Amino acid sequence: MKKTVSLLAASVLSISLLAGCGSGENAGGADNGKVKIEFFHYKREAMDTFDKLIEKFEKENPNIDIEQASPPDAGTVIKTRVSKGDLPDIISIGGDMGYNELSKAGVFTDLSKDKVLEKVQPAYIQMLKDITGQEKIYAVPFAANAVGVIYNKAIFNELGLEVPKTWDEFVALSETIQKAGKIPFYHTYKDAWTLLPSFNALAANTQGADFYEQLNKGEVLAGKRYKEAVEKMVVLSKYGHKNQQGVAYNDGNTAFANGESAMYLQGIWAIPEIKKANPDIELGVFPFPATNNPDEIKVISGVDLLYGLSAKSEHPKEAKKFIEFMLQDENAKQYIEEQNAFSALKGIAQDNPTVADLNVMMENGSVTDFPDHYIPTGVYPDKTLQTLVQDKDVDAALEKIQKDWEKVQSRK
Amino acid sequence: MKSDQLILNNPQSSPADLAKSKKKKMNAKMMAYYLMVIPAALLFFAFHTFPAIQGIYYSFTNWNGINLDYDFVGFKNYINLFKDTAVRDSYLFTFKFAIFAGVLVNIISLAVAIGLNAKIKGRNFFRAVYFLPNILSVLIVGFIFNFVFTSIIPNLGEKYQIEFLTENILGNANLAWIGILIVFIWQSCAFNVILYLSGLQTVPTELYEASGLDGANRWQQFWKITFPVIAPFFTINMVLAMKNALMVFDQIVAMTGGGPGTVTTSISYLIYTGGLAGGEFAFQSANGVIYFIVIVAISVFQLKVLQKREMDM
Amino acid sequence: MRERTNWPVTIFIALGSVAILIPLYISISIALKNPQELAESALSLPLNFHWENFTKAIEVTNFFNAFKNSSIITIFTLVFTLLTNSLVAYGIARNMHRKLFRNLYYYFVSALFIPFPIIMLPIVKQTSALGLNNTAGLILLYVVYGMAMNIFIYVGYIRSIPIELEEAAIVDGCSTWGVFWKVIFPLLTPINATVGILTCLWAWNDFLLPLVILSDSAAATLPLVQYVFQTEFGADYNLAFASYLMAMAPMVIVYLFAQKWIIGGVVKGAIK
Repeated sequence: MKKTVSLLAASVLSISLLAGCGSGENAGGADNGKVKIEFFHYKREAMDTFDKLIEKFEKENPNIDIEQASPPDAGTVIKTRVSKGDLPDIISIGGDMGYNELSKAGVFTDLSKDKVLEKVQPAYIQMLKDITGQEKIYAVPFAANAVGVIYNKAIFNELGLEVPKTWDEFVALSETIQKAGKIPFYHTYKDAWTLLPSFNALAANTQGADFYEQLNKGEVLAGKRYKEAVEKMVVLSKYGHKNQQGVAYNDGNTAFANGESAMYLQGIWAIPEIKKANPDIELGVFPFPATNNPDEIKVISGVDLLYGLSAKSEHPKEAKKFIEFMLQDENAKQYIEEQNAFSALKGIAQDNPTVADLNVMMENGSVTDFPDHYIPTGVYPDKTLQTLVQDKDVDAALEKIQKDWEKVQSRK
Repeated sequence: MKSDQLILNNPQSSPADLAKSKKKKMNAKMMAYYLMVIPAALLFFAFHTFPAIQGIYYSFTNWNGINLDYDFVGFKNYINLFKDTAVRDSYLFTFKFAIFAGVLVNIISLAVAIGLNAKIKGRNFFRAVYFLPNILSVLIVGFIFNFVFTSIIPNLGEKYQIEFLTENILGNANLAWIGILIVFIWQSCAFNVILYLSGLQTVPTELYEASGLDGANRWQQFWKITFPVIAPFFTINMVLAMKNALMVFDQIVAMTGGGPGTVTTSISYLIYTGGLAGGEFAFQSANGVIYFIVIVAISVFQLKVLQKREMDM
Repeated sequence: MRERTNWPVTIFIALGSVAILIPLYISISIALKNPQELAESALSLPLNFHWENFTKAIEVTNFFNAFKNSSIITIFTLVFTLLTNSLVAYGIARNMHRKLFRNLYYYFVSALFIPFPIIMLPIVKQTSALGLNNTAGLILLYVVYGMAMNIFIYVGYIRSIPIELEEAAIVDGCSTWGVFWKVIFPLLTPINATVGILTCLWAWNDFLLPLVILSDSAAATLPLVQYVFQTEFGADYNLAFASYLMAMAPMVIVYLFAQKWIIGGVVKGAIK
């Protein structure tokens, strides 16, 4: 009996010690007089850049310790943590459905009246309002991305090709490349999400100007309005390569970097990855010629990274300091240079020649948000598209998107 | 309890005293047993049964997992479950997968076990090799095979001009499930082989020899001697293999992400992605309840059918 | 007595084992190459051993930290499971004639059929609310969930131990607890081995439970870390495979030394 009791006591002790160990890393705890802030974000590829900026910040603010956390599938992880009530101080995701859901769940502090927003371009602040359908702003837009067509300048020169401005030119160009025995697009259909950049570019420009208005009234027009975009996706799938169903994002980046295709349908976030595989590649990005009216084509650009302040943070002042630090001109510039992004802030230009073609449109404000930011979670357009490019059944895909969307709406 | 011992051991103790002592001892003994079992049962209830009940409770709401409030919606989720194509497809896929997996794993492991039981060289070495997959992490094995299917096999197909190998099977909507099946079988056979082997080894070799002398051929030996003995192992293996196959998850995470499209989305994968990422917490909880009922039903059915066969043998 | 080797079967078995070993050979081969060599051929023997893949993998995935986490979880789970589950099983096994205990037995074992997904979502919230979304909570869950299978195994075994041994001990003045620790527990060694091995394998290789329960990425286990770093590895398969190998290595090394014992343990448990 005695032996059992002492054994039990020992085990209880060790569990409590372990519990202490395990939860010692909790965010916001103050050890040795320093304030600890957890900076949670979904941009794994930017972790190095953040490391440098954090180091700089910690030098200027020796009593604040910033800890980065960027797990894979961060969108899911943050939702799990919300449901557990375990919130990081700063939450940085994109201006997408996730932001919408988290705002509605009361995760963020209301920043509508905050001075910090004065630095942000109004177009991006508007995007946040559009996504949530509310007037309140719950995060600071920081970086914007863009979707265009990434192309290999060397191959274009070799084949004497010119950047296409209309959809018809785009298709004709792909024909030429294919006839010359080269691969026009290195599709990576195994990763369903990689179908979204092109779909977004197509849908945004062809879904009709009142699509979102109707949506806010509760009218789901996807089945009808996405028709042109879906048909064009099928066309694009013809100009790929043999193993396009079986190849994923990472392999696609490497293949394109090694010159295996003339073009690559990805957002500009892929550029750092491509350059990692082949630093010598000469590439450019041209606006996605979604229709035959070049003057009306808009570039897809959304809020790629925003800073949200947790409503339950124990150290809001310090967290705020970090956000303000990141918004300083030289820091914002460092980020966009290293990450090949566009800045959502006023007056910070992206000088990289690779994306020069896009710059013009960005500066004109010919931008529009990603349509898939408005598609509710649970509809999975990427998976429907994945099936589409294999069986080329346009009607089935449209029907499925429409049905799934209605199904999710009706559940609310 | 010395005094009780004295009473019990003393032949002159009165019956009443004896009875009382015995009762005291019994109570102390029962106390100990209760203490051994009840706390564990309570913990089990707290961390297993209670969440299950909570899951059932949530299935009657419309909670998405993160909102601050939710409403009670009665059977709405269950009705939607039956109408939902994604759910239906995941059940169809999982059942198809489980049936093939259950049957194939059993046939293959039995064959291997019979082989290992025969007079072969290096039996212990081979036995160790065949069991190896069981100790590896299912997820990592999935990652390894993902690479094999994506890069190695297509390259081999190109090199040796074998047409059907040149594409990644995992990217083919019709064949992706076979990729998952192969990996599942590769790893699951290990355990089943060992189980069958231990069963086979309980059959004395003299039986085979005697029957051989009596003119029985291999087939007859198998059906009349071997099979009856391994029948209980067959039951267990079938039940276990099917149960594991019905719960397939890790391989899907590592190899297909449920795709292409949703063709390899198993029930547990759908519950995880839909419930945690998809904001369909309550809906997927209802899915979980149905899943549980299905698994219990299938397992009970299997046990009844197979045990009856055992008895009949 | 015919002692001659059955060659056809030997060859059949040998071929089968090649199918088992090839993926492992591939992993080792890729881990030791660099990207160019890999591009040339995945199956050829590695000529230059690029050990730097391993060092880089250690760095990138914070291997030793994950190894420490996996070890802590596995060892504590093992110890607590062996101590507690056998005790509970003893209490039940010796009282199967009583309704309460018999029902508890069915209660525990029935849990084998409850698929994890149904409790996954609520347990996530529950562990968080109780402050158990960490290593300690994970260990607790493994010990508790293990009870379903382990009680099934232990009870089967304990019931085959003749009760006379215990009665002798009681006559000698042992309390019920004493009977368990002094008489029964030592006799449980073979079955403890079985349960121990099964528990170890489960705790070490499990992926789903750490994925949903652990909030802190510093507490990640080895399999979880492989998942987490998929994007870090990018297309650097040499790095990825080096990491996979290191993650699998501990169990494989243990297996190489103890395989006879391990398989034997599983077999004995199975027969019971």
